[in-house]
Amino acid sequence: MKVLIVEDEVEIAASVREFLEKENFLVECATTYASGLDKALNYPYDCILLDIMLPGGVGLDILRELKEAGRKQAVLILSAKGAVEDKVLGLEIGADDYLAKPFHLSELLARIKSIIRRNAQHGEKLLTYKNVSLNPERRQVTVGALELLLNRKEYDILYYFLLRPQRLMEKTALAEAVWGDYIDQSDNLDFIYSQIKNLRRKLRGAGADVDIQAVYGVGYKLI
Amino acid sequence: MAVSVKSYTNRFLVIAILAIIAVWASLFYAVLMDEVYDNIDDGLKNQKLEIIREAYSNPDILENSGSFGINQFRILPAGDDKFLEKNHFSKELVYMPYDDEDEPYRILRTGFYSKDRKPYQLEIRTSTVEEDDFLIDLAFSLAVLYVVIVLSILVINYVVLNRAWKPFNKILDNLSRYRFGSTVPFVPVTSQIKEFNQLNEQILRMIDRNEQLFQQQKRFIENASHELQTPLAITINKLDLLVDDESLGEVPLTKIAEAKQSLLRLVGLNKSLLTLSRIENQQYHQVEDVNFNQLIKNLMEDLVDIVNFREIEADIIEEDIFITRCNKDLAHILLSNLLRNAIKYSPKGGKILVHIGRRRIAIRNTGTSEALNPDYIFERFHKNTQDAQSNGLGLSIVRSIVENYPQMHISYTFEDNMHVFSLLQSEN
Repeated sequence: MKVLIVEDEVEIAASVREFLEKENFLVECATTYASGLDKALNYPYDCILLDIMLPGGVGLDILRELKEAGRKQAVLILSAKGAVEDKVLGLEIGADDYLAKPFHLSELLARIKSIIRRNAQHGEKLLTYKNVSLNPERRQVTVGALELLLNRKEYDILYYFLLRPQRLMEKTALAEAVWGDYIDQSDNLDFIYSQIKNLRRKLRGAGADVDIQAVYGVGYKLI
Repeated sequence: MAVSVKSYTNRFLVIAILAIIAVWASLFYAVLMDEVYDNIDDGLKNQKLEIIREAYSNPDILENSGSFGINQFRILPAGDDKFLEKNHFSKELVYMPYDDEDEPYRILRTGFYSKDRKPYQLEIRTSTVEEDDFLIDLAFSLAVLYVVIVLSILVINYVVLNRAWKPFNKILDNLSRYRFGSTVPFVPVTSQIKEFNQLNEQILRMIDRNEQLFQQQKRFIENASHELQTPLAITINKLDLLVDDESLGEVPLTKIAEAKQSLLRLVGLNKSLLTLSRIENQQYHQVEDVNFNQLIKNLMEDLVDIVNFREIEADIIEEDIFITRCNKDLAHILLSNLLRNAIKYSPKGGKILVHIGRRRIAIRNTGTSEALNPDYIFERFHKNTQDAQSNGLGLSIVRSIVENYPQMHISYTFEDNMHVFSLLQSEN
């Protein structure tokens, strides 16, 4: 899968690139408005990560140009501004999603994957690991042939795990993902812990081959 | 004690007019008396002339006028020792049968020689003003004058100053209504009085200057928060990459996670500051009729897992529908902050009660602490002592949102051991 990062902050672009490459993405970078527009217009990408403030122009204009050129590209806006207008405007112009900086790389991955999944004409719409499958469209989880009933937070947590099986998911990132914005860390970490405990119990009860493993005190891993 | 301008000027006017009238009265009295005596004395001198002439042509009267008769003069032969040709005026009290008492007379004494060179003394008298009566009359009329003047000044002052100060009172009223950096601007008052226009102008200028400073400060906070986002993003992402490294042991991994956790607190603080600036800079300007019942129900649904986890009993009582015109995102932030607060500060097994009326939403929660101080809780960075995790901005965001809409009002009370946040909406 090919991803274009249009981002003038070299360090952010480098981190995102390193992370996405580890997730087996093919990553290209553009650091200016002109080069970003050039690449976006001329090559197909599965997802474009678009910063709003760019040297030489505004990221939203790339979006407009793409639209005028009739090129359908999936776009995820990354912005440090986080202003409501940008978000609303970006989505209106045709961006697929919006993520405010700073973000967790795992959250970025979740957004990219869900955009790609939504835009995929054919192919795999299920997230599957071992004998556990998750259908994001129907918010449905199956273990083997049986459906597993999860509450909303348990589902969200499992979704994040299935995006990156065998990788460490930090507690804080999980808390933010399922608890949303305006997080207050302390009490929610306990909450996450109890949700994971329930999830593990349910998975085991349904005969899943997967398990969630605590990694020191830092986070969890789906194995 | 501070008094109003009216009483202040009145007090001085009353005293000053009294002093002016007193000084004027004594001057007036002196001048008038001087003029009166002058007139009387002239008359007496004239009479003297006529009498002496008469005595020349008709010496009989020299003998027949030994005492004051109806002519009010007498001629007495004078010895050399007493003789004085100069006019001598004096004032004496003489019995007057009409009044049955002694009355003041003006008397002219002078000497003259008759035709046959004999010295005579002439005394002419005439009734004159009764100075004591005159003084009493004068005092009385001046007292009346004083009272009339003072009363008219009071009345005129009351009416005129009331009118003249009307713009001033209006300015005060507008000033009291004006909120710094808020949507309600200061309304200048036009008046015919130069001073008030100047006052207006200066107030406007001052407000302008301050608002500018305030804007700069807000922009500074916003810009600073913005600028912080990128380095934060870089640091967090680098740490994310490090955490992904499987070869790291427990100790470095824990340290990295802890460092990230601290950074996330900074991110949270930064986000809150940005939200505050945005609210205050009126970046959420799209308004619509927002149904708060629906929003509350949606939010509670989102929060139901954590509510259950904390064994909190949460109830929503809908008596009516609370609809108000505001920005939907802000309404969401507002209610989300209030509800999350209620959950956060409820002890395990506590109770949350959301009461929705047409004009009031009351969010109650049991708490471990006693009543909070409503003067401070909405302040930025105000924290309860036991509350290390909060950034102290949640409730000030709530207040900023409410202040954006004149019809809304937020208050805190402590009732029956429950913290109650009430969102009120006035009739409009």
